[in-house]
Amino acid sequence: MESQLTTSVLVPLAFLLPILGAVLVVPLTRESPRARGVMLGVCVAATAGIAVSFVPGVLDGTVYETYLLQLTPRIWMYLRVDALGALFGLTASVLWLLALVYSLGYMADEHRQSRYYAFFMLCLAWTMGVAYAGNLLTFLIFYELFSILTYPLVVHEETPDAMAAGTKYIIYILIGGSLVLLAVVFTFFLAGDQTLTTAGILDAGMDHTSLLVIFWCFVAGFGVKAAIMPLHGWVPDAHPAAPAPFSATLSGIMVAAGCFGIMRAVFNVFGVELLAELDVMRWLAYLAAITVVVAALLAVNQDNLKRRLAYSTISQMGYVTLGVALLGEEATAGALVHVANHAFMKGTLFLCAGLLIKQVGLRNVSQLAGIARRMPVTMAAFAVAALGMIGTPPLAGFVSKWYLGLGMLDVDQPLYLAVLLGGALLAAIYLLPIVYAAYFKEPAPLAERSERTGREAPLTMLVPLVVAAALTVVLGAAAAVPGMPLSLARLAAQVVFGG
Amino acid sequence: MAYWPHWLVVVVVAPLVGAVLAPVVGRGRPKVVALWALAAMGVTSLAALNLIVRVAEDGPFSYDMGGWEPPVGIELRFDEFGASVGIICLLGMLALLFSYRYAEHTLPTERVPYYYSLMLLNLTGLIGFVVTGDLFNLFVFMEILSLSGYALVAVSGERIAEMAAFKYLVMGAVSSLLVLFSIGVLYSVTGSLNMADVAARLGDWGARSPAMLALAGLSLGFMVKAAIFPVHIWLPDAHAIAPSPVSAILSGLVVKVGVLGMLRVYQIFYAAETLDLTGLNTLLVWLGAISIVMGAFFAIFQEDVKMMLAYSTISNVGYIMMGLGLASSYGLIGATVHVFNHALIKATLFLSAGAMIYRTGYRTLHDLRGVGKAMPITTIALSIGAISIVGIPPTAGFLCKWYIALGAFQADQPFFGVALVFGALFIFVYYIRMVNAFYFQPATHPEIAEVSEAPLSMLVPVIILATLCLVMGILGRIPLSFIEPAVTRMLAPLGG
Repeated sequence: MESQLTTSVLVPLAFLLPILGAVLVVPLTRESPRARGVMLGVCVAATAGIAVSFVPGVLDGTVYETYLLQLTPRIWMYLRVDALGALFGLTASVLWLLALVYSLGYMADEHRQSRYYAFFMLCLAWTMGVAYAGNLLTFLIFYELFSILTYPLVVHEETPDAMAAGTKYIIYILIGGSLVLLAVVFTFFLAGDQTLTTAGILDAGMDHTSLLVIFWCFVAGFGVKAAIMPLHGWVPDAHPAAPAPFSATLSGIMVAAGCFGIMRAVFNVFGVELLAELDVMRWLAYLAAITVVVAALLAVNQDNLKRRLAYSTISQMGYVTLGVALLGEEATAGALVHVANHAFMKGTLFLCAGLLIKQVGLRNVSQLAGIARRMPVTMAAFAVAALGMIGTPPLAGFVSKWYLGLGMLDVDQPLYLAVLLGGALLAAIYLLPIVYAAYFKEPAPLAERSERTGREAPLTMLVPLVVAAALTVVLGAAAAVPGMPLSLARLAAQVVFGG
Repeated sequence: MAYWPHWLVVVVVAPLVGAVLAPVVGRGRPKVVALWALAAMGVTSLAALNLIVRVAEDGPFSYDMGGWEPPVGIELRFDEFGASVGIICLLGMLALLFSYRYAEHTLPTERVPYYYSLMLLNLTGLIGFVVTGDLFNLFVFMEILSLSGYALVAVSGERIAEMAAFKYLVMGAVSSLLVLFSIGVLYSVTGSLNMADVAARLGDWGARSPAMLALAGLSLGFMVKAAIFPVHIWLPDAHAIAPSPVSAILSGLVVKVGVLGMLRVYQIFYAAETLDLTGLNTLLVWLGAISIVMGAFFAIFQEDVKMMLAYSTISNVGYIMMGLGLASSYGLIGATVHVFNHALIKATLFLSAGAMIYRTGYRTLHDLRGVGKAMPITTIALSIGAISIVGIPPTAGFLCKWYIALGAFQADQPFFGVALVFGALFIFVYYIRMVNAFYFQPATHPEIAEVSEAPLSMLVPVIILATLCLVMGILGRIPLSFIEPAVTRMLAPLGG
């Protein structure tokens, strides 16, 4: 498909607006928390608006771009919105908006709010930068900022558990970041500064050992963030430690950013033809398949709800990596759309988990018997998202799994269908008992429960939760409507495979 | 001859005059002497600015003192490396401004004028060292800055400071002696002291052993000055114990004398083309890699904030030496750019740490817990410095990592690129400890919450420096546009 380049000032605004929001947090905190909330809402909504505004153009084959700054005599900071980036930016900014509104309620009586909001906004800024980065150095800059400046959010609670989780997080992420840096330097050395297009930066004429080294550096580096086993260690600790609205974005976007990095490396740095020639993707597929199954098995055993959800994230991101690794058009579309679908489904689940902690002080699965009577809306949202996660039609998860399954058959690898179904079955095993207990089990006597006897949450938290749950329905039922993530994902896959 | 080359003399003479007159002007009036020193540096900075604009427009130029032409006369030379005078002036101004309150607070009143006098002398030595085109003057200026450096370490008069200064003095004296001896050898072989001239005549000279001897002496001498492992032992105590503005100058600039000295040596010997420098390069690369790791390793176990920063300097000099030793154009660019950027970053770190010590009176991580809430601006500045020094893009420290790693691939030694990138991880460990203590751990001393933000004369330099840490990364092409032509010219004899 012919793509036409259009320079657009909106592209840098997508990350400058959240930065502006972060800067304004501190002075506004002194004025009034209300004004601060409104300002933050406007900033994130505008960012999401920008992300949405790119969609029609991108679907028509336009690529928006901006040359921002000359970093060194040879390298520009260059932003570029293609279908892949537009999809990721859209998902991130909309989920962020929901998480922000939820935060306004959730964080109202927490400590150090201005720090939380400032870094929450910065984190969105870097995510948008990652989504719209047009060359490797720009990508690296935003990716590293985003990895490291998340640390204050992970340790926000400042409890010993949070500090330990933070240390683990930063060590994993730094090692991953170093590998990515090496890969980027090596790529730049071999090929110079090049735009991330589907043509690929590296070519088959280069030394194959070097190409393999670069490939595995990219995969291992981004794999830490994407939680490919055995590099997943930080995920189950960081999620329970972080505040719930941030857990939602951590799971939905941060981990997915690792997958997004792998996609950029696979589709834009190497290109599918070169990778097919190098014959490395099947190893990545094996790793991803193992991740899907093992993480799901581990999730079954977790009693801490957020921890269970964290393992579920690892498993689900394994699907995405698997879809990419199969190197087929349908599978790729499935992987891409799963990034968006998973973000809202897992976002819903984490927001529910946050409400359970906030309103009734329950963190463990075993305590949830009968909770749906006290929090009917919350648990309804949980049930919808859980069903979506398992892949029940017509919810969001079904769409991605449908395309992943088609893709597996398409590339003649039907054995992976077993992984796909196994993962879904295990998802049912680790999610449905929660729903069952919440609705059908008798609540334990009050004395055994926590002293907090809250009920349904205030609207600031309930509305984003319901919207997120509704989105998982819409993303499934209306998946084929143009402008939905599926259309972007299919376009991106089509461009990659030259269809 | 146009009038502007005379600025080259002003750059050296203005701080010198300021230094000599400081005790007279400021006897018993510590505020006045601070202003006097600032004025002297102000004049110097204006002159330097003028020169930098000139060199950007017209390229390198020379000035013959008293109209005597080299090799007979004394030549002052201003090239792109000379543009580091700009950084020296900037840091000098900011450190002096920072001292305005700090010196009064830490030193007995009667010593304050001498403190400023020594600071100005030190800066004179630095500027002279950079602009001289003549080996003997190189030595003279190096001695000016070294001697004033020893005195500045001891200036607080505490017993431990005297010990540190003495250790610094002994190591420094040995290195100066080595440099002087080697300059003597070069003079006896070539009959000249002018650097360009020496290079030209060395090329014609057949015998290689005297040149080798001179090269070895100069390299070792400058390595001690640069505090590279294993001759770093004088550095941590001296830099940690000196008053903070002095630490900023010592760590940011004085250590770089060793590096710039090495650069000058390379300039001479590359141009002379008599010796194969591969052996020295290999040594430098390895010592650089070891310095990165060892500096970080020692720093992890420190409790004292300034001690950590001092060890961090050893790691960073390791980066620079590695870049020099790789002898590829990217590596050399990375090394040179880090000479500038590390000066900015380390000054940010030392000055903000100094502001914390000034306000709280504590200097270990344990005692300083919770300072982030009490002194938000200072702590943010320190955090920016920390992020910058570990090389997170797009801060100033990243350029060096990027270029030196590229240089390692270019020199076909990718192992050192890996060592560099993973060495930086060790460095991250103790900066994380620092940030954790300042922000995320409960305060050891509850009264720390009542401490107020640093006074304006300290806050302004800290803010300017922290901003530069960010800006120099994003606008990296500005320093690079100076450095690239210089490096290309330097490596031209190698055919690279």
